[in-house]
Amino acid sequence: MTHYETEIKRIRKKIYSNQGQIDTVIGVRNYIDNNYDINLNLDFLSHLRYVSKYHLLRLFKRYYGQTPKQYLTDVRIKKSKECLKSGMKVTETCFAVGFESLSSFSTLFKNRNGLTPREFQKRAIFEK
Amino acid sequence: MRVTLISIPVRDQEKALKFYTEKLGFIKKKDVPLEGGNRWLTLVSKESQDGPELLLEPAPNHFEPSKVFQDALMDAGIPYTQFDVEDVQNEYDRLTNLGVVFSIKPTEMGTVKIAVFNDTCGNNIQLVEEL
Repeated sequence: MTHYETEIKRIRKKIYSNQGQIDTVIGVRNYIDNNYDINLNLDFLSHLRYVSKYHLLRLFKRYYGQTPKQYLTDVRIKKSKECLKSGMKVTETCFAVGFESLSSFSTLFKNRNGLTPREFQKRAIFEK
Repeated sequence: MRVTLISIPVRDQEKALKFYTEKLGFIKKKDVPLEGGNRWLTLVSKESQDGPELLLEPAPNHFEPSKVFQDALMDAGIPYTQFDVEDVQNEYDRLTNLGVVFSIKPTEMGTVKIAVFNDTCGNNIQLVEEL
């Protein structure tokens, strides 16, 4: 057995021994992946898994390194890029991926990517 | 500041190019001849062709500490770097059929599943799927 395999086994035993917690956060993440386009909040997500919202927040951050809200935003931005690349209009994209305000979507998109959604779309179509 | 490039040390650039494109599925992006037969050789992921480039760097052939470091990681089974995949088990099955040798079969580690293979160019590479 290599040093790496030994370490993996040791770390798994030490850090990932609580399968219940792991199942909870994986369940929430999968739910976000499949429902990013609806209005999701911590109250709703915590009810899904029968845990308190503060406990879920702590667990999700512990296992994924970011909050459910941060993860949801990442998923929405990623999906919005796919929509824009496929030619969907900016306004339509904004609501299709779950954002409720066009201006906040455009600002967030530009902060993350250095381009507005429209600029991103133009470039994506030009590069095709 | 932006991350546009990561490098992987390889012993043979041509062999690495074949392995990374024909088996792993990367696409060649830049191939610039340099002195002494070396090349500035970069690849991109098929799914993200405007994403970061992977530089196949012949450092172990020209800088002894790089070779020593690479050998030490290989002997310990430690991955030099890792690539994200949608499904580790599928990639494991596909690559095993292509003759790629794995030192760690698909294994769950909490919220990720990993597997580690030998890239035949001096490195262990880890595949990761977030669960």
